[in-house]
Amino acid sequence: MNHQEFDLTRRSFIDRVLTATAGAGMATAAPWAVSAASAAVADPVKTNPVRLGVIGTGDRGRTLIQNIAKTHNCTVAAMCDSYAPNLAKARPWVGATTRVFSDHRAMLDAGGIDAVVIATPLDMHARHSLDAFDAGLHVWCEKAMARTIADCGAMVTRSRAANKVLQIGHQRMFHPTYLNALKRAKAGEIGALTQIRASWHRNNAWRRAVPADTTDRQINWRLYRDSSAGLMTELATHQLQVGNWFFDAPPTRVIGSGSICFWKDGREVYDHVALIYEYTGGRKFIYTSLLNNARYGCEEQIQGSTGTIEPELGRIYQEVPAKVLALQRMQKDVARGHKRTVPIGGATWFPELPVTTPGEALGWGEYDETMLQFEGFGAAVRAGKPLPGLLRQAYQATVASLLGEQAMDRGEAMTWPTNLVAI
Amino acid sequence: MSITAQVERFVAMGTRIELYVFGADHAAAMIAARRAIERVDDALTIHRPSPTTAVNDALLAGRGVAIDDPVLIEALVAIEEVHAETEGAFDPSADRRFGGAGWGDLMFDRRAAKLFALKPLALDFGGIGKGIALDRACAALRDAGVASACLSAGESSIAVVGKHPLGGGWPFAIPHPRGGDVVLVELEIVNEALSISTTVGAGTQAPERAAMIRPSDGAIMTAARCAVVVDRNGGRAEALSTALLVADDDLAQRLLHRGAARRFLYDLSQEAAPTVDVVRMQAV
Repeated sequence: MNHQEFDLTRRSFIDRVLTATAGAGMATAAPWAVSAASAAVADPVKTNPVRLGVIGTGDRGRTLIQNIAKTHNCTVAAMCDSYAPNLAKARPWVGATTRVFSDHRAMLDAGGIDAVVIATPLDMHARHSLDAFDAGLHVWCEKAMARTIADCGAMVTRSRAANKVLQIGHQRMFHPTYLNALKRAKAGEIGALTQIRASWHRNNAWRRAVPADTTDRQINWRLYRDSSAGLMTELATHQLQVGNWFFDAPPTRVIGSGSICFWKDGREVYDHVALIYEYTGGRKFIYTSLLNNARYGCEEQIQGSTGTIEPELGRIYQEVPAKVLALQRMQKDVARGHKRTVPIGGATWFPELPVTTPGEALGWGEYDETMLQFEGFGAAVRAGKPLPGLLRQAYQATVASLLGEQAMDRGEAMTWPTNLVAI
Repeated sequence: MSITAQVERFVAMGTRIELYVFGADHAAAMIAARRAIERVDDALTIHRPSPTTAVNDALLAGRGVAIDDPVLIEALVAIEEVHAETEGAFDPSADRRFGGAGWGDLMFDRRAAKLFALKPLALDFGGIGKGIALDRACAALRDAGVASACLSAGESSIAVVGKHPLGGGWPFAIPHPRGGDVVLVELEIVNEALSISTTVGAGTQAPERAAMIRPSDGAIMTAARCAVVVDRNGGRAEALSTALLVADDDLAQRLLHRGAARRFLYDLSQEAAPTVDVVRMQAV
């Protein structure tokens, strides 16, 4: 794709976001997306970009670097990683003048950056964020926010004290399909939302090969409790954010069950989780994630009284009216003195199988939501003000994921904490 | 004054049973009709222990078995007759699990109420069971003085008592089983049963529904067909509609033109979508 083609794609993407956020209530429901897309339109040329220092250039870090390169207002000015091969792999994706460090402290001390992008193991997020705030920098941090609820709160508090932007990577919040889905739910197209059934099912060990010069805990940090809550922080947190977003509130309580059920390979985190998050009014978010069956993949089934939205599939479905029994109609006809032919011979058994109506597309295409969240971050850094509403969503999503971990570990219902930092 | 109906809906015979009794208060008759259907279900079901599963255990073990359940005996008598009438096309023991074994490998001694299997096999009453159940329910209603009633077992098996409450026959239309607006046939019935069998449509997707087998060679029927039969006897209507689905063309013609009953067979295999041009073989 050449620059002109890319600009057209980018423009088309931003237009879709703007269209999706134009509905009634959307300015309140997704204010960050409105701000980010508006800023992206207003800043079409890459001039005086925000200088980013990327901490962590593993797989995710390199993906972020590629998305940053697409933005019109950000550039990677520096990057660091304690593992040299990661830096070498990232090198082709950055400019020749990008400085490289093996230690994040050295990068922060060297200056020349406006903000950091953190793509390190979860247990490092808080430390790297706090160090960056102390260095007078803004922070963009991968989800989940931190390994503990206390660390999440500390990140929020420190960003405020430093008067710096803290943004967490939840790309679905910039995704036109999700924005469209929310817009249509807000418009009442699927009736009263009462349940979201979400899953992220994979069929692999979630274990990476360990190079000779590293340790398993370095490479497979997601499998160990001191560095990760496993499926909860690495996968569920995305979908919990979607749940909170569509229910327009955090949960009130969670119960759950977790187990190492299939991959008994020395890992410490669950490979099967099943949880129910309760929301006000009896609403529920029912979640499962596992690592040995991928049939149902990743999806959030947003269920209302008149329809269902499946944003990963990008479709909205209306409820199929219940079949009126032919003889029931005949009975009513007779009661009003009317005799008419009764159509008969339908199914001897009315299937209560999943409805397979095709539904309607919510919009699909080549999306660059990760790019847009960086453009939004760039705009926020320039303005010295965070994108509105974004941090609360991220904070509550991570808290929900960690609360779910606690519910499973303790085998008891956990109520939503009352001592969270107000955002 | 509007004509009211008493209605009873429940699950039996593996489907949804609906009983509509019109006219005066016939609560006791309704209960009797329901009990009659449940009695047949208890005798003929193969989905829980029953006289039929006990018989099947013996037949599968190659043993002879004495039968003391009157409903089961009545069903076996009905099968024996309709198996002969359909030249073997109706066979409740045809099952691919048992190779070529079928009703012809059974010896049924009506007088002694004994059944012997020459080869291992088992019975599955399926549709004919629904027909027998509706017949017995209709008899219970008539005995209780009901003059107008409509009974359904999953909307593919219908039986009516007397005339329509507004007079004349009970008018039914049989839509194309694949849906759409096409109607295969419209007909009226009085004191008769109506059976609809098809190899296509939603009803064929039920879980645990066994493939339709042609008894003569054990082949699974894949041809898209729909058979409609009206008969005084519900069990016979069910057996004939099933037989029409699996019969070859020559036999189908013989079955369609035999007797006074109204029988219809539709070949739906040429259609990509429902049209009015269904190939129809019928006898009126």
